[in-house]
Amino acid sequence: MTSGVWVWIAGALTLAIYSFLYKDNPFYKVAEYIFVGLSAGYWAVYLFWNFAYPNLFQPLFSEGNYWNIIPLALGFMMFTQLSRRSAWLVRFPLTFVLGVSLGLQLIAAVEGDVVPQLAGTFEPFSRGALFNTYDFWTSIGYIVLLVGVLSTLVYFFFSREHKGVFGGIARTGVFYLMIAFGASFGYTVMARVSLLFGRVHFIFHDWLHIIR
Amino acid sequence: MSVFEKIQNLDRRIIFVTVALAVILPLFFPLKLPVDITAPVQQLYDVIEDLPEGSVVLISIDYDPSGAPELDPATWSVMRHCFSRNHKIFVMGLWATGVPLGMRALETVGAGEYNKEYGIDYVDFGYIPGGAIALVNLGRDVHDVCREDVYGTAVDEIPMMKSIKSADAFGLVLSMSMGVPGSDQWILYYHARYRGNLATAQTAIGAPKYYQYLQTGQLVGLIGGMKGAAEYERLVNKYGLATIGMDSQSIAHLLIIAFIVLGNVIYWMEKRRKN
Amino acid sequence: MRLRIPLAIIFVMGIFTIVSHFIPAQPVADLNQTFRNWYIGIISFFIFLGTVNLARSNSEKIKTRARDWKYSIILIISLAVMLVAGFYKGRTSMEEGNPFMYLYFNVQYPLESTMYSLLAFFITSAAFRAFRARNREAVLLLVAAVLVMLGRVPIGAAMWDGFPDVTEWIMSFPNAAAKRGIRLGIDLGLISMALRMILGIERSYMQ
Repeated sequence: MTSGVWVWIAGALTLAIYSFLYKDNPFYKVAEYIFVGLSAGYWAVYLFWNFAYPNLFQPLFSEGNYWNIIPLALGFMMFTQLSRRSAWLVRFPLTFVLGVSLGLQLIAAVEGDVVPQLAGTFEPFSRGALFNTYDFWTSIGYIVLLVGVLSTLVYFFFSREHKGVFGGIARTGVFYLMIAFGASFGYTVMARVSLLFGRVHFIFHDWLHIIR
Repeated sequence: MSVFEKIQNLDRRIIFVTVALAVILPLFFPLKLPVDITAPVQQLYDVIEDLPEGSVVLISIDYDPSGAPELDPATWSVMRHCFSRNHKIFVMGLWATGVPLGMRALETVGAGEYNKEYGIDYVDFGYIPGGAIALVNLGRDVHDVCREDVYGTAVDEIPMMKSIKSADAFGLVLSMSMGVPGSDQWILYYHARYRGNLATAQTAIGAPKYYQYLQTGQLVGLIGGMKGAAEYERLVNKYGLATIGMDSQSIAHLLIIAFIVLGNVIYWMEKRRKN
Repeated sequence: MRLRIPLAIIFVMGIFTIVSHFIPAQPVADLNQTFRNWYIGIISFFIFLGTVNLARSNSEKIKTRARDWKYSIILIISLAVMLVAGFYKGRTSMEEGNPFMYLYFNVQYPLESTMYSLLAFFITSAAFRAFRARNREAVLLLVAAVLVMLGRVPIGAAMWDGFPDVTEWIMSFPNAAAKRGIRLGIDLGLISMALRMILGIERSYMQ
């Protein structure tokens, strides 16, 4: 699908964005505004065909499921935000949506995160078989993991002053956080370089055919 | 202005040019360094290898063009592996902007390389709206969530879907993800309720967060960034963009480390000079 | 009424969603699924409102000749072109070979991926200027970053075959520990906030 004049359009737009590296300029601005407009249009198309049509209009008008008038009405209430006088009506759809999502989030946080994560932290120490079941560095790793989770949690407990033994544990948590942030920085660099490589490959392979 | 200050205030466009060269030059002068395989990627490979032939693998395209250079190679490699093992692929996505990427992957790999038949060997339901809520519904009743495929065909008219009704039908769920909604939602809302094998391919930015889920067993595998995709390409023995990109990645990383070291050396020498 | 009915809605929906998770009976599960389907339908209006707001604000800019108003014309035209491309052939507009897809692969795709790739340049420049080992914590951050950057590329393994294993160990244990601590903290906060909102104690979202 990327061939002929279209690949030249793609190439020109790529260079227009990269021109920002020299300085802000009209070519970059034009490309930026085209992107915003196109993305908004793209989402609107999918919103209708994948969201609104099969979930609201089709059940109501094709299948005769008249209960769907309720979500349709609640959905249209969203537009009352645009007028100051009727803006309070948006509370109805908002609270419906929040109620459903908060209930699910609460269950997910406990069932999907808190319980398994805590279990995973302590499980390697169960049955006292740490150095027997795992190799040396993995066993050390699990001790490091346990100390790290507890000290990081202590660090985020700001209701008590970080002094004495408590402060020492919190400080250990800070060291773990620094290691994690350093690792995240390394991965972020990797991600950004990958994106740059993707575009460079497009320019020299797909567009200019300089490399095979 | 001292020499150190001059270097510290180096015009950033010079830095930009060096970064560009670090990525471009390896394309013309490849190093062809071997890619080592890490445990999380090997684990995912082993899971797909061990699935009974004909298992259904759900691949969720939860990324858009900004994640494509890292996740397209992973998606294509996993699809190649699944098709070579005669597994069936069920594609969907939580991102509307990822739908064409999934369609292109299936066209190129499924139909193009492995002569697989749509509706029998693979199916594409495109964008599934609702994020986490949709996943809760999906595991309970697939047909209620996926009413029409990406071409508008009703789910009951697709032969492959006769045996896929709920979460039990999937031998593996694989989320190719770069943000929200994505792997987080699959773990918290789908796997917490319906269990089964769940794995993820992440852009490098998101990957560090998921090691904690690997350790608990909530994830059975993790492909992290372009490096992870290059590892999977090596495992399936079909090299692509990710492997080619490793040389540029290597040189760029060395360059950035050099800049960090240089910046710190100058900082400390300037500090000593002022003291 | 303006306050009590919405508070009642969030309370009823929140409690029902939580309680129904523990009741496997078919009618309850079906009702739950129906409410979730309604949620998905309503959410589409939230997002559609964003598109309407975007068109509105840019139209205002054009009308009042605000700064960069000429670019707003380009935005509105792009939006209109994509809408026409996405609707003129109905649902099949979104299939391969159609203008909608051509615009996606040859305009939207390169623009989006190039925009994000700019960050590779800025992260290098920022690392050179700002990444300083001023104290022990910063040194730890720097060392971890360098080890991960070397361990995650083939050239690191070529320099020393231990780099990948060291990186893997860092990611699996100290990194996972800190991320888990952060995650648990967020979850506990989320549980607390969810309960406060469902019970009507927290009402700031209604302003």
